[in-house]
Amino acid sequence: MPDLIIDGRAVSVPKGTMVIEAAERLGIMIPRFCWHKALGAAGACRMCAVMFTAGPVKGLEMSCMTPAADGMVVETFHPEAVAFRRSIIELLMVNHPHDCPVCDEGGHCLLQDETISGGHSLRRFPGRKRTYLDQNLGPFIQHEMNRCIHCYRCARFYQEYCGYRDFGPMQNANRVYFGRFDDGALENPFAGNLADLCPTGTLTDKPARFVSRRWDCLRAPSVCLHCSLGCNVTALSRYRRVARIEARENAAVNGSFICDRGRFSAGYEAIPERPRSARLDGNAVPAIEAETALAARLAALAEKHGPGSIAILGGLRSTMETQAAGIALAQAAGWRAPAFFATRTEQAATQAALAVLTPPRARSLAEIGKADAVLVLGVSPLFDAPMLALALRQASRAGAKIIVADPRPVALPLPFTHLPVPPRQFPAVLAVATGSPDAAAAAAQKRLPFAPELWPGLETAAKALAAAKRPALVFTPGLAAALPDDDRLGLFPVLAQASSAGAALLAPTDAPGLDELAADVAAGRVKGLVVVEADLFAAAPGLAAVLGKLDLLVVLDYLPTPTVAAAHIVLPTTTIFESGGILAASDGRLQAASPVQSPGDPVARDGAGSHPPRAFDRPLPGTDPAPAAFLLDRLARGLGLTLPREPLAALAAAIPALAGLDLAALPQDGLRPAFAGLAAPLPAPLPLSAESGLAVIYTDALFATDEPGRYAPLAQAQTQAGPPVLLLHADDAAALGLADGLADGLAVSLECGNRLVPATLHLSRAMARGVIVVPRVPDLAGLPPILGPCGLRRR
Amino acid sequence: MQVDTPQVLFKNRHLGRPATLAEYRAGGGYEALAATIGKRTPAEVLQLVLDADLRGRGGAGFPAGRKWQGVPTDHVGTRYVVVNTDEMEPGTFKDRILVNADPHLVIEGIVLCAYSIGASEGVFFIRPSYEGDAELIEQECRVAREHGYLGNNILGSDFSFDLHVHRSAGRYICGEASAQIKAISGLRPNPRKGGPRTAVKGLWDCPTIVNNLETLANLPGIVRNGPAWFKALARSATGSGTKLYSVSGQVARPGCYELPIGVTIREIIFEHAGGMAPGKTFKTVIPGGASTPFLPEALLDLEMDFDPMRAAGQRFGTASLMVFDQGTCLVGATLSLMEFFARESCGWCTPCREGIPAIRELLRRIEGGQGTEEHIQMLTDLLPVLDKAYCAFAPGAAEPVRGLLTHFMNEVNAHIVQKRCPFGNPPPTLRGKACGTRPIQFGPTPCPEDQCPI
Amino acid sequence: MSPLPTELETELARLVAAVPRPREAAVDVMYALQRHYGYLCDEAMHCAARVLGMTTLELESLATFYDYLYRRPVGRYVIHVCDSVVCWMFHQDSIFDYLCRTLGVPPGGTSEDGLFTVLPAACIGNCHNAPTMLINGRFYDRLTPERIDAVLAELRAGTEEPVRCK
Ligand SMILES: Cc1cc2nc3c(=O)[nH]c(=O)nc-3n(C[C@H](O)[C@H](O)[C@H](O)COP(=O)(O)O)c2cc1C
Ligand code: SF4
Ligand code: FES
Repeated sequence: MPDLIIDGRAVSVPKGTMVIEAAERLGIMIPRFCWHKALGAAGACRMCAVMFTAGPVKGLEMSCMTPAADGMVVETFHPEAVAFRRSIIELLMVNHPHDCPVCDEGGHCLLQDETISGGHSLRRFPGRKRTYLDQNLGPFIQHEMNRCIHCYRCARFYQEYCGYRDFGPMQNANRVYFGRFDDGALENPFAGNLADLCPTGTLTDKPARFVSRRWDCLRAPSVCLHCSLGCNVTALSRYRRVARIEARENAAVNGSFICDRGRFSAGYEAIPERPRSARLDGNAVPAIEAETALAARLAALAEKHGPGSIAILGGLRSTMETQAAGIALAQAAGWRAPAFFATRTEQAATQAALAVLTPPRARSLAEIGKADAVLVLGVSPLFDAPMLALALRQASRAGAKIIVADPRPVALPLPFTHLPVPPRQFPAVLAVATGSPDAAAAAAQKRLPFAPELWPGLETAAKALAAAKRPALVFTPGLAAALPDDDRLGLFPVLAQASSAGAALLAPTDAPGLDELAADVAAGRVKGLVVVEADLFAAAPGLAAVLGKLDLLVVLDYLPTPTVAAAHIVLPTTTIFESGGILAASDGRLQAASPVQSPGDPVARDGAGSHPPRAFDRPLPGTDPAPAAFLLDRLARGLGLTLPREPLAALAAAIPALAGLDLAALPQDGLRPAFAGLAAPLPAPLPLSAESGLAVIYTDALFATDEPGRYAPLAQAQTQAGPPVLLLHADDAAALGLADGLADGLAVSLECGNRLVPATLHLSRAMARGVIVVPRVPDLAGLPPILGPCGLRRR
Repeated sequence: MQVDTPQVLFKNRHLGRPATLAEYRAGGGYEALAATIGKRTPAEVLQLVLDADLRGRGGAGFPAGRKWQGVPTDHVGTRYVVVNTDEMEPGTFKDRILVNADPHLVIEGIVLCAYSIGASEGVFFIRPSYEGDAELIEQECRVAREHGYLGNNILGSDFSFDLHVHRSAGRYICGEASAQIKAISGLRPNPRKGGPRTAVKGLWDCPTIVNNLETLANLPGIVRNGPAWFKALARSATGSGTKLYSVSGQVARPGCYELPIGVTIREIIFEHAGGMAPGKTFKTVIPGGASTPFLPEALLDLEMDFDPMRAAGQRFGTASLMVFDQGTCLVGATLSLMEFFARESCGWCTPCREGIPAIRELLRRIEGGQGTEEHIQMLTDLLPVLDKAYCAFAPGAAEPVRGLLTHFMNEVNAHIVQKRCPFGNPPPTLRGKACGTRPIQFGPTPCPEDQCPI
Repeated sequence: MSPLPTELETELARLVAAVPRPREAAVDVMYALQRHYGYLCDEAMHCAARVLGMTTLELESLATFYDYLYRRPVGRYVIHVCDSVVCWMFHQDSIFDYLCRTLGVPPGGTSEDGLFTVLPAACIGNCHNAPTMLINGRFYDRLTPERIDAVLAELRAGTEEPVRCK
């Protein structure tokens, strides 16, 4: 722990800390451009020069490249250092355009800040400015190369940190140019971070252009809804639409970055189709009218068929407040226990995946980035949880071995071993990989006798995990029961959706699966269904198919789903941007989002056609949506019931893992409950037999396969038009007679329920045998777990 | 040419063509190697080099033995020797002459270094304009391999070492040791600082010694004749060995001369190089290559050696003397140097990437008669900024400017007062330079004069 | 993309195989393709990327960094005229201007017959023979306008049909 003095104040920092970071601990921000917490030092900009007046280093040095050492005395305000830094700014400004008012970075520009604070305001230099031509870098990042100050942050992030190789520096000397070989979209799914990283207006958020000046935006801390990792974001809103999403630092979760899915999947809150007013039997009505009718109808149903004929169903993209309110209402009204998951098995598995996260075993996403061997089971990181891929890349850069066992073809920007096995072999893979490394070869042959091509990979995995000091397992919930009982192995689950963990934490043990509910509806045991922020057509096609049998379908939602369209009564709810709330990430970490805007039509639409002046007397249009928890509470009152003032707090008090936590004051990094371990060993899931057909594996894409993202125009625009693409192992295709001739890109149809869905079949050899990989699109939601022999046909 | 100075490196130069293996051996060539491999331990060779106080001839003058000591002894795996034949410092051409005189001397030196540090791979990094020499080295390596001086089991021992040529595509910055390693690795040759030294973690993350070609060529002599002999070659108290001095500019006999370390500058110019060219009067000399300052006439009796030069505020550098006569405009000369530095920078850090072109621009104005007092102030302000650049490139570029402002301020002032070049040079902005070899689809936009895109 | 001649493919494969990692051969491969195409056209860059397993951006990063790799069409003979300080001292500029005037090209330009491109070059290590220039690996010493005329004439006489890339 070196002790040093910076600007007269003593500080003690861990060995290896650079002086610039040590200063930061004292709240002293030494000017910098190239240094970045996540990227480290480059020493390129020379902006962070400080004076070392005593100790092992003497004279003017860069604080980003100088490790703190005992006895150092550092003066950031030394006149020589100040003069030097001023010269650097002057040099950078020699070629920088002076048009901050039209620059998209203006107002939140590090270069602007340092120029102003350094006191450089008059140009002495007589020469002309260097100019560049810009490139089109695709839909997300705007390029204005004249603004570049050559800090190399972008290139270091893009190539070293992320491992993508289509963007970088070109040319030399004062012509260095950051771009691509030619125009085209950036390949890096984390490229959006360039907008945050670039300290100037060179690389900016393209979709956010011409929406708002950044300083005019309302800003609030939020949590990403687009996968289960719970990355922290800042939502910026202007004119009642989300203008942009930025990464928000959370050292335990996403660090400084987020993925492009998280950044560019907002916008669903502002689409014209969003349910904005209450609807009663297809007609827009004042909210109060719908609520009164709803209470009356529910009361009548309960009267007629008993309260058990009413069920409530919660979504996996809701805040925990909403989930808890639904549970509380069901309990108070004596309805059926609320359903969240497709099946009871899935619910139990998700609950088990959290329960195993005992303090010694739980790992955060950031800790996965520091692991020295990681076995990923049943997760394709880039698509199921994109930021996991970036964490794995950091682990890999530090030398970790990465092994991914997943039936799908897996692409990652890092060296890794892929074990393409179908899910039913995950337990075997797990057993061999976490077993004794010496016996691994024999075990692999014994347990996976039919797949000799996997044996070397399995042996590598076993050796790597055994030799590692900080090994970790990333797993899907289905595997929770099979995890070895070894405290050395850290655990990190990846769940299906952003609120899967919240639902698993809160759902009562007797909660039915959606499949049971479907059976109950079909059998007439359930007559009324209250759906809170879920789309049955995607989540439970079986249930969606029998909706006609219901006397009453009530939907509370903020997305214009087909379920909303089918509802008798619709109550519009607010999005996370309008109500905030608590979300539990895949590792159970509780994090709070704050509201950033009021509901209500975006100004652009509100004013359309009657651009000023506008009438002042009418109420703000589109403000009917209310937080679902609030609507549920009102409903309870309408039924003459009283819910707890804070259903979530009340519910949490009774849940061991959550009891005693102060949910109203969650810390910055979020709070991970201490889970107690599995109460009783779970029954191992029934292995699916392969012989009868192809196991169906749903897969996500980077964009628009998550539910909110499907309704985000920008995310939607990234998807390819045309029939969905299915993936099949080339040998399986041959066995099915689908591999002849131009089999790759073959037009096929897929039997889905009683429909035939047209699709395109692609073949691969980098995937498991016996499976068919299907994109997670609503059209294909209702496939059986095993596709029968006639399920796939040539078109 | 004076012949009484011992010719060690240039022993075979009189042939006027590359010495053959036979010729090299006739003069005792490869004896050092034969006496070393299997007979001395690598540590003994290192000790000889340490005792001889062999200092790097590539510009920085770092003791070679001390650099080699940095190689971790417990490293398992390959170690590399990189032979730095980039030689792009303006005024320097000694390495080319040396390879051309005696390629096997160079090869023997390289093998001795490799033996001492336990390297099994060598990379001969050579600039594109020396393509002929690259081919010569490749050819002579084949000869050496046939005779067991290179390749597997050298001289029948269990020591194996091989050398291959890496052709650069040309940039001065590639001469910097860490940048050179990156260049060899197919990366952009930005120097690297911080982190382990190249002797610990260099090429492909293995221990790597980068030495100048001339440095290595001294090894056969040292090993054969011993450190005392080597030290005695020098004329100064602190120096050791001889040195190849590249002399160019307005002298009667420009060329490369092997002379002891410690000869005076006056002796080099006025005896060996035959004095000033006919009709020319001495004004100044840049003594150590483009990265060293102008030297005023008063210092002509300075000894050419690392420490005395430094003490006098001068730099030994690559010992490349560029001699200027009274008729040459030093603002123009400095500007020419800045054109070079501005063009050759790697573009990594602000002082170098932005600072040198800024100096160039200011000098263009002054040379063109548009300079003002303020421009001199700006030049002065920029020098300490260049000194704190990422690597030694920009500090080197600052030296001539500093020399100009320290010793020849009167010339600068004359430009400002007369509003033109007193030597009658045309304003530099008139000679636009545009280069047609880079893609146009991205910038900088092709421009007439202020941004030479070469 | 038209296929490369077999000998060139073999040569490229040899270059890549000769080094511990393909990246090391990047410059050599680009030189070889430059010899074939006359300059590094986009097609050449794609070939190099394929042979080396690098991206075109990575190769562009290198090709545009260096002096002797040409990404735009150049003449059969690229004349690197040294403009560093020693040559400058010998009125290099007039040599440069003379070349440009004689060939009717701006600096960096290529003569109409496609034979010559004139480029200012960093010190080429031939200072004792200043002023000097380098053409396809050969030094030309102590230049004067007369000598330049002779050199150009000699090169013109000895040229076969230049290789062109569209
Ligand atoms: C900008 C720059 C250019 C250099 N160019 C060369 C060069 O062309 N040849 C050379 O031998 N050393 C050059 N050097 C010095 C090398 O970095 C390194 O010190 C040298 O090769 C080590 O060899 P030595 O110790 O034998 O001199 C250069 C250094 C810098 C900073
Ligand atoms: S584009 Fe931005 S991040 Fe990249 S070097 Fe320029 S200023 Fe830095
Ligand atoms: S922050 Fe230290 S040099 Fe850029």
